[in-house]
Amino acid sequence: MVQLTRDDLKKVQPKIKAGQQYVKVGMSTCGIAAGAQEVFELFTKEIKQHDLNVVVTKTGCLGMCHAEPLVEVSVEGLPSVIYGRVNGEVAHRIIEEHVCGKRLVNDHIFDLPIRR
Amino acid sequence: MEKPIIFIKDTSLTGDSSREIQTQLLKVAREKGIEDLQVIRVADLGIYDKGVALKICSLDIIYVNVKLSDAEKIIQTTIKEGTPIEDLLLENQAMQTRIVLRNCGIVDPESIDDYISRSGYASVGKCLFDMTPETVIEEMKKSGLRGRGGAGFPTWMKWNLARGSFGDEKYVICNADEGDPGAYMDRSVLEGDPHSVIEGMIIAGYAIGASKGFAYIRAEYPLAIERVQKAIDQAYEKGLLGKDILGSKFSFDLEIRLGAGAFVCGEETALIASIEGKRGTPKPRPPYPSDRGLWDKPTIINNVETLANIAVIFQKGAEWFATIGTDKSKGTKVFAVTGKVKNSGLVEIAMGTPLRDIVFQISGGCFVPENKMIAVQTGGPSGGVIPEKNFDTPVSYEHLIELGSIMGSGGMIVMDEDDCLVDISKFYLKFCVDESCGKCAPCRIGGYQMLAILEKITAGKGTLEDITSIKRIAQGMQKASLCALGQTAPNPVMSTLRYFESEYLDHIEKKKCRAGKCTKLLKFTIVPEKCKKCRLCVTNCPVNAISGDREKGYTIDQEKCIKCGRCFDVCKFEAIARA
Ligand SMILES: Cc1cc2nc3c(=O)[nH]c(=O)nc-3n(C[C@H](O)[C@H](O)[C@H](O)COP(=O)(O)O)c2cc1C
Ligand code: SF4
Repeated sequence: MVQLTRDDLKKVQPKIKAGQQYVKVGMSTCGIAAGAQEVFELFTKEIKQHDLNVVVTKTGCLGMCHAEPLVEVSVEGLPSVIYGRVNGEVAHRIIEEHVCGKRLVNDHIFDLPIRR
Repeated sequence: MEKPIIFIKDTSLTGDSSREIQTQLLKVAREKGIEDLQVIRVADLGIYDKGVALKICSLDIIYVNVKLSDAEKIIQTTIKEGTPIEDLLLENQAMQTRIVLRNCGIVDPESIDDYISRSGYASVGKCLFDMTPETVIEEMKKSGLRGRGGAGFPTWMKWNLARGSFGDEKYVICNADEGDPGAYMDRSVLEGDPHSVIEGMIIAGYAIGASKGFAYIRAEYPLAIERVQKAIDQAYEKGLLGKDILGSKFSFDLEIRLGAGAFVCGEETALIASIEGKRGTPKPRPPYPSDRGLWDKPTIINNVETLANIAVIFQKGAEWFATIGTDKSKGTKVFAVTGKVKNSGLVEIAMGTPLRDIVFQISGGCFVPENKMIAVQTGGPSGGVIPEKNFDTPVSYEHLIELGSIMGSGGMIVMDEDDCLVDISKFYLKFCVDESCGKCAPCRIGGYQMLAILEKITAGKGTLEDITSIKRIAQGMQKASLCALGQTAPNPVMSTLRYFESEYLDHIEKKKCRAGKCTKLLKFTIVPEKCKKCRLCVTNCPVNAISGDREKGYTIDQEKCIKCGRCFDVCKFEAIARA
């Protein structure tokens, strides 16, 4: 056990550091029910295979349950985007076209206006 | 510079002209020497019924009702020169405001570092070192936060009562029993951002002087339980739970208790009994839990969503929080929007947002675009319906009560013309009858009797006196039931009677169900003139109720028919009549 102090809190770094490329897979009950587990494993595998500098992590529900599984992708040179209804095939395309080819994948992007 | 990217989507209900505009934009761009423009057709922009919509990613602006002829100007003015075109800009779009769901879909729920790096546990630090329990409660009062579990009781007041009660030990309970049919907001918060709830509980514990908390989670939420347990373990690991939190003098322990999934165990006194290991039935109040709760010690019970709000209030200030929402309803509310809506999902809106914006702008309107929406149900089995004519009502505790419904915990079920309101009321009442603990007679017997009357009406055997009886039983249940389950169980029926009495009368007098949902009132027959003798219905009928041959034609045996409607659906010649 480590006893954090109030000052220590400010020094804690997130899992994904600024500038790090990532793929986040929505893995709440709604996502998993729609097949997110398989998608998560596929991303992990392919990113390892291609030896890409991209972190794959789980995250919670973004709210667009109708479009699960949802995946957020952020790579250098492109805005971070959210893909919905991602299955194995779409995941594959995301790796090939978006992560490697720097071209967004048509027809699977889900965007929503949110104030945070 | 980032590559220019445009998202494009035809948001109209009919047709899709996004491809033409996409091609045109790319063509104009090439003519103007912009080679690297990407125009991406997207699945959804969160905007509906506004023609072709574009999102210019670099400027983060949205254009709507874009025409082919606008392409030239968009490329020149916006993409080349970087200036928005006023006439095309999207205006008055209803938007979600995310406070409770601030981290959901962003952090890794299994990483405490992710949470801390987004100012997590900073509010615990602030409260423990810079504030006294009294000033914490004062700040809560200023924020105006009210309970999100259903009743909307001011949170500060609950805390203040428990603070004022004497007890050598006090308890904080998080109510994660979430039993309303169709509601799953709390589950999503627990699964997506469990630390926000833990942080809220620690602050609540400090405010009332408790050193022990319980998260009461229903056993049907295995993933939520797993993530909350992980989060608790991590918090202990980092000294954010347990002895001397963050090196202060305050200690707080937290553990999970599982609920076995009885709806009534969401009621606070029943929940307490359940944690104590007794049978989960409500007790008369007073004494209130803030006085004598868990093991007779002063106890506060707060809902998951209520607790998820707390850290933000201390992080950004009560004044900031109080600027969001209406006069008497502050902050946001998360709804689980389901039913006949295009996009079902979680929606977090500032209080005061009109219902119409939630249903049409945010959730995209009816699932079947041609259908007419007729009502929205809020508050689950304790709530009521709000008819379409009242959709402009702002969503707040007061306004919904005025309309005969309640805010409830956040279930929102959208209904269209294919739904029968009598049938829906019957569903909710049956839920309450099934879930009634049976301790008091008004609920146990009243609910059963009222359900029997509704069964009678939906079977076409109702009389006008039945409506009078329903109203009489409802009054008895509302006045004499021990807990809110029985007191509110008649609400769905009473509210549909208030707005849709004609539907009840149709069932009673005309023996008709407009939506065709009350199967006992239905009769399927074959129209010989239209029948092409294709036998599709014969092969599809699951109970072999259709007989005949190509010579004589076919008939449905009404004795055997289970009114499933398969034949009606499969017939390509509209030769099955449903009456
Ligand atoms: C039958 C019944 C079921 C309830 N179920 C829940 C529930 O699942 N979750 C919840 O937070 N509150 C539920 N409540 C309300 C609680 O009794 C209590 O008011 C609430 O947890 C208080 O928290 P709040 O002040 O933060 O809203 C229920 C009440 C009744 C009568
Ligand atoms: S109102 Fe119903 S659920 Fe509540 S105590 Fe009485 S019988 Fe039990």
